[in-house]
Amino acid sequence: MTLFEASEIVKVFPGVRALDGVTLTLEAGSVHALLGENGAGKSTLIKVITGLYRPDGGRLLMDGREMSFGSPHESAAAGIGVVHQERNLIPGFTVGENILLQKLPTSRGLVDRAAIRSEAARWLAELELDIDPDQPVTELSVAQAQLVEIAKALSVESRVLLLDEPTASITPNEAALLFRVVEKLKDDGRAILFVSHKLEEVFQICDTVTVLRDGASVLSGGALADLTRDEVVDLMVGRVHEALSLPERAVDTAVPPILELRGVGTASGHADVDLSVRPGEIVGLYGLVGAGRSELAKALLGLDRITAGEVRVRGEAVKIRTVRDALRNHKIGYVTENRKEEGVFLEQPITRNIAVTIWDRLRKVLGYVPAKVETAMVTSYVEQLGIRIASPSQLAGTLSGGNQQKISLAKWLAAQTEILIIDEPTVGIDVRTKDAFHTLIWDLAANGLAILLITSDLPEMITLADRVVVMRDHRIRGELPNNHDYDQMSQQVIRLIHAEGTTAA
Amino acid sequence: MSAPVSSTATEALREDTPVEKPPRGTPWWANQRVGLLLLVVLLSALFGVLRPAFFNQQLVVFPLLRDIAMFTVVGLAQLCVLSIGHMNLAVGRMAAFSMMITGISYDLWHFTLYSGLLVGLVAGTAIGALAGWVIARTGVNSFVVTLALDFLLLGMIPLVYTSLTENAAFVTKPPGMRELRNFSLADVCIGNVCGSPAVPQLAIFAVIAMAVVGWIYARTRLGRELLMTGSSVRAAELSGIPTARRVIIAHAMSGCLAALAGFMLAVSTGSIKATIGEEFMLPSFLGPILGGTLLAGGFVSIWGTLLGTALTTVIRKGLDLLGVGLESLNIYLGLILLAALSTDRIRTLLSDRQAVASSSPPPPPKAAGSQEGER
Repeated sequence: MTLFEASEIVKVFPGVRALDGVTLTLEAGSVHALLGENGAGKSTLIKVITGLYRPDGGRLLMDGREMSFGSPHESAAAGIGVVHQERNLIPGFTVGENILLQKLPTSRGLVDRAAIRSEAARWLAELELDIDPDQPVTELSVAQAQLVEIAKALSVESRVLLLDEPTASITPNEAALLFRVVEKLKDDGRAILFVSHKLEEVFQICDTVTVLRDGASVLSGGALADLTRDEVVDLMVGRVHEALSLPERAVDTAVPPILELRGVGTASGHADVDLSVRPGEIVGLYGLVGAGRSELAKALLGLDRITAGEVRVRGEAVKIRTVRDALRNHKIGYVTENRKEEGVFLEQPITRNIAVTIWDRLRKVLGYVPAKVETAMVTSYVEQLGIRIASPSQLAGTLSGGNQQKISLAKWLAAQTEILIIDEPTVGIDVRTKDAFHTLIWDLAANGLAILLITSDLPEMITLADRVVVMRDHRIRGELPNNHDYDQMSQQVIRLIHAEGTTAA
Repeated sequence: MSAPVSSTATEALREDTPVEKPPRGTPWWANQRVGLLLLVVLLSALFGVLRPAFFNQQLVVFPLLRDIAMFTVVGLAQLCVLSIGHMNLAVGRMAAFSMMITGISYDLWHFTLYSGLLVGLVAGTAIGALAGWVIARTGVNSFVVTLALDFLLLGMIPLVYTSLTENAAFVTKPPGMRELRNFSLADVCIGNVCGSPAVPQLAIFAVIAMAVVGWIYARTRLGRELLMTGSSVRAAELSGIPTARRVIIAHAMSGCLAALAGFMLAVSTGSIKATIGEEFMLPSFLGPILGGTLLAGGFVSIWGTLLGTALTTVIRKGLDLLGVGLESLNIYLGLILLAALSTDRIRTLLSDRQAVASSSPPPPPKAAGSQEGER
């Protein structure tokens, strides 16, 4: 029996068709997998279903009746519960209060604690969980918190449950507990949508599957029993990417690496990381969200402790303490993935956003920074990177994502770094600008920069990297020379990522 | 400036989309400082009409300007920490602490007026740096740290005074102190041209402080890095700014300026006592914030601080002259400040509306950017 259906959903953002006629059908008593690469449109689809985004086309049907959700409240009222990828429990509250947050039982205007306890206990019992409703949520393990979130999603009497990457941050043992709960909910006749990157899990607990690619559903509601793992991978990556024509660029392998990691371990859990980058080389560090790639970059910059192994820059073992140290003494720059919070100063003028790395060099007596030199330097980069601005004193926050990203990159070029770590450079950037960025990164390498490119965008990786290093669970899982053949490379990389037997944390 | 960007990359990066329009430059009447200046002038005129005595140079204008000068320095002390998004609740007590040291230097070591001031400034800088160091080291909110420091000094200062003095005040007055209090620019002559008798010499300290602080924030690496730290600590850290050091320096500057304000108060009241700076805390926020300095950090206005301080001081003095009692004076002051802050908001809204109306194609570029980021 079809409980919920999203039919021919279209969602357009300026410059991008994020969803282009996606159809998804959820049956009662069945677990449905939603698969797709990063950026394929999974999150956007979930946001449409839960009323965070209004679709620009298509229909949402619940029990065959057409619905229109203006807010997450309305979708919850219609019986759709969702557990988001990010944790949404409120730290100061108890388990019970969190579960019933959307409609706290009250008596005479006051919160009714006894009712909370019994009501919450009922939902916890339904999931066969041994958790005390009076326990503060801060005392829960990550997996327990995840299960409490499911109880919370159920407490609105939901019949459709969306789980967005519920196992992203829990161990396999904890995941097993979660799957038991999912099985139970399925037997109770609920419809469940399961979003995950881990194919083993999908084959383990899901019945049917929808695969998204480039905002369209390339497979809608296929039975997983009829599919092999390779067929699913093919569906996910099988896109024909319009190859960007980039000029020839050869890496001189006789040149020793400028940056080299030998058996590096960090406080955030990396172990035995070996990695090297030569001048003029682009090394791609590929992995899924949470694999520990950005954390490794931050450890290199001294923002996290390196506990084992050694980092060598230009052949010498170094200990980098701060970003300033990395920049000044080793000429290493880091373009962050978190553009809005770490990359640009939204409320500061463009000039300062780019000049921030060079004041140190420009300053004269008493720390005086000559405005003329500063402006000339900034203007030169604004022109070279084609940043569209009205004036250099314009605030960075008024620019588009693409132009903000150019600014975030420009400050490291201005600082004349020789080693550049670029983290997810094209997230949330439209296709055209994306190609321009690829040309730029290619070009920087051709001019001798050593680039460590962190990305979970497979086409991007295969277009740019000379070598692909695959990371999972804070460890290097393999290294591949890149032949820029998309089909062949994507198969190999995805296989490395999903290789069985490497799940253990 | 040799950059490793080739012309092919530049070509690819060039966009044919129209320039993203920045929010239009705000019209002059929406400028906060212009509004403040008008308010100060209008209110002064109003008070002058109601009570001609308001323009009495010796009895009203002279002490009024002396107060404005002092509270401007107090405001600047707060502005320095506001620039990095912090607060200094101990601004008054830091002044008291510094003046205690200055008093000791006069009383026990027989220092001259200015070497005593120097000792005080050093003490203020040190206590401010200490606060900054604790904040940078522990990561505890500046509100909490300076509040705790305030209590610590509140207990400690009277103890020192009672053990060293008889009436909780240092009695030794170094030569020059009385002159500094009473002299105006009329006592400064270049040839036959003398300054106005209405402007106290003490105001020079405020002018120097404004010039130095203004120069730091507008022209130097330090000032820019402080503002960047205030805008976003994480982005600043990841851009290679030594943020911990910047936090310490901002608090040290705050302590130094608090000491200077304490000195100006000591000179104008003629005595160094434990209660110096008690009335500093609230005005220290009022001046900068009325003048447009952001509480959250990242933007400061030196002129705004002067004008904001002038506004509150003029209101106080005017109401005082009109014979309003102390309690009701505070009520009126509150009402006028509320009105000043709301008209400011109204002006901003009006100018925004005008800007929207004049840029005809409706899709705002900002909304597009934020949506893109959410995906």
